[in-house]
Amino acid sequence: MVIRSASSVLRSFGDALSRKSATSLPTRAWALVSAVKLRIKILGMVLALVLILGGGVTLQVRATLSRTLMAQLQEESASLGHDLAARSTDPLLINDLYNILQLLRETQTNNPDVRYAFILDHDGRVVAHTFGSGFPADLVSANSVATDAHHRTTSIQTEDGVVWDTAVPIFDGKAGTARVGVAEARMRSTVASITTRLLLTTALVSLVGIIAAIFLTWLLTRPVRQLVEATEAVRSGDYSPRVRRWAGDELGELADAFNSMTADLARADAERQEREQMRAFYLRKIIGAQEEERKRIARELHDETGQALASVMVGLRNVEEAPSAEELHERLADLREVAAATLENVRRLALELRPSVLDDLGLAAAMRRYAADYMHRFNTQVDVQIVGLDRQRLAPELETAVYRIVQEALTNVAKYARATRISVLLERHDGQLTAIVEDNGCGFAAEQLLNTGALENRLGLYGMRERAELIGGTLAIESQTGYGTTVFVRVPVGEFHEIVPDTTRLPGM
Amino acid sequence: MRRVVDLLLACCCMSFLVACTALPSAGGIPTVRLSDLRPLPATPPGEVAPLRVAVAAVISPRGNVESYTPLLSYLAAKLNRPVELVQRRTYAEVNDLVRKGQVDVAFVCTSAYVAGKQDFGMQLLVAPQVNGQTTYRSYLIVPIASPALSMADLRGKVFAFTDPMSLSGRAYPTSLVHRLGAEPETFFSRTFFTYSHDHAIRAVADGLADGAGVDGLVYEFALAQNPTLARQVKIIHRSPPFGIPPVVVGPDVRPQLRAALNDLLLSLQDAPEGRAILSSLGIDRFVPIEDTAYDNARHLTDGNSGT
Repeated sequence: MVIRSASSVLRSFGDALSRKSATSLPTRAWALVSAVKLRIKILGMVLALVLILGGGVTLQVRATLSRTLMAQLQEESASLGHDLAARSTDPLLINDLYNILQLLRETQTNNPDVRYAFILDHDGRVVAHTFGSGFPADLVSANSVATDAHHRTTSIQTEDGVVWDTAVPIFDGKAGTARVGVAEARMRSTVASITTRLLLTTALVSLVGIIAAIFLTWLLTRPVRQLVEATEAVRSGDYSPRVRRWAGDELGELADAFNSMTADLARADAERQEREQMRAFYLRKIIGAQEEERKRIARELHDETGQALASVMVGLRNVEEAPSAEELHERLADLREVAAATLENVRRLALELRPSVLDDLGLAAAMRRYAADYMHRFNTQVDVQIVGLDRQRLAPELETAVYRIVQEALTNVAKYARATRISVLLERHDGQLTAIVEDNGCGFAAEQLLNTGALENRLGLYGMRERAELIGGTLAIESQTGYGTTVFVRVPVGEFHEIVPDTTRLPGM
Repeated sequence: MRRVVDLLLACCCMSFLVACTALPSAGGIPTVRLSDLRPLPATPPGEVAPLRVAVAAVISPRGNVESYTPLLSYLAAKLNRPVELVQRRTYAEVNDLVRKGQVDVAFVCTSAYVAGKQDFGMQLLVAPQVNGQTTYRSYLIVPIASPALSMADLRGKVFAFTDPMSLSGRAYPTSLVHRLGAEPETFFSRTFFTYSHDHAIRAVADGLADGAGVDGLVYEFALAQNPTLARQVKIIHRSPPFGIPPVVVGPDVRPQLRAALNDLLLSLQDAPEGRAILSSLGIDRFVPIEDTAYDNARHLTDGNSGT
């Protein structure tokens, strides 16, 4: 178990290595930086600024302070040396060692930086010093001064740190030499304490900076977070959330744009849903209509054709029982009439179900025939004008769609318009087929009906529009109460619908 | 997130490191262990014992070094042995050195000789002669602006003595106060010791003291060296002459050394470098002197010693 987990760790480590080596360092660094959250970026920016500034100032202050204090220390060492030399001259000349020792001790007491002080006589022997019992080896030889020199200050490395040792000749060297050592330790601790204070200040400012950055980030990212949440909601289909416009900056503009986009999306979604509903309703209607049609056909067959055939059966029996040849001939003639009427009925039924003329002769011929039929049935004048379609056939689905749209339009006219004249125009021009059905009927408030009418009332119009859109076309209805109705259909027939030469056209039909 | 934290930490560490960089320190400097204390080496005994010459602090130690160095160098050359100048703050300490034989020869004050002769048989060697005299006086000096005309006018003032054993700086001014029927401790508002005559002159010149009794010879010499003093102090009283401060030897000095020193000092003015040496000391020459020359001084100090 352990071995397996260890090996998996090794493997993943190896993968990471190979992944790392695959991408270049700047790319990886950029990936690392860019993956960081906005909050962290702002925070990092503030922190980096404060730290760089704080570090730089600390460094500069530290360096300047050290330099200045070091120079002061050397001056202090020299000045103390001179003071000591001047004040120890007489005691040294009169051999007042106790007084000299007092002087040395005073010097050390009054100047905390003084690590040691001692006096050499003119032979270089130590006459008095501040070390108590014993004297450090090599200290005497660590510094020396010429008798005609003013003084000499040099640094000595000791276990307590660097000591600035000054040697001053006493009474031009006739009496001896005064030596005083000033330690750097206190100066260094001062520098260290100031450095610490500066660093603490930097840390404090960093803390304030972090708090400010967090607040700033919250201020900046609040609209962005809201946008993200709202986007998530929109993605899951909830178009209701609106983001607040916090400020008039770019983020505010983004919020506005987002809100208008959500509103558009909501509208589009509502439309889509309505259409969906319509489609479902239409589908149910179609299925219902289909059943209705079947019932009608069944009734037709039963009532008309069945009845006719039953009459034929009765007629046939009558023919059988005809008493004379003359009567037989008469009855046969009646029978043929009944059969002919039945045949006519069946043909009409078939034509209504599917006008085979559309398949056989094309849109133009079918249209003319339907118009003629319509005039006969509804006793309404229909003018049919067909331009540019006589010698060509269109794609079958296109012909069917246009035929059905016009048929529906004419049916509507018959049902509602109470029109006396109808004009049908079919024109193919510049790769586009235009169908216009115009009547002089009572008309209706087309916009109102299309937008707010009851679903049932709109269904016919909806079906027409659906058919037009299915073949990539558009449908428009212009109507006003009292001024008739015009239905425009425009369908592109260019490269999508190849025009095939009419080969099936039969002469005389 | 963790990487970012690491990054920030690294930033912090870097800035701290930068801030904590070592201060510049000198390279190649001598190293001394200050806690490694060892006993100081004992002073090795010289191959030849030096001639030790004590000089009483008639003038300040520094002035003594300046004045006596030519003479001591001369003696060292003539005697062919090193000569060491020994100084002490007080006359009494010098007398002590002479008594114990820690110095071979000493330049002492008049009253110190009187006391030394009486205490342990200090012996006269020679005496300096100044302006043809082997006597000197005590001067009572005051600041140039002082209205005082005599010791009586210094009542309630601050007075500077030189040395407790000094004739001109202590014994004579004290006798003046006694003559007024008073004691210095009550006559003056405050007294202090300067332990040398040039310091006493300085104390009056600087207004530290309202009056002082000084060695007339030192006063004249100081005035010659530093003429501006004449504009700062003035003499309001001169004492009768006393025997000049002599050169003495201890009671146990070897006769040969005493004779050699005697010869050297007495013949100094004839030596080629003698004039410069004597002028450095501010004297004409050295002459023999008798103990009787100090009788009036002895009388003065005896008169004081009882009170």
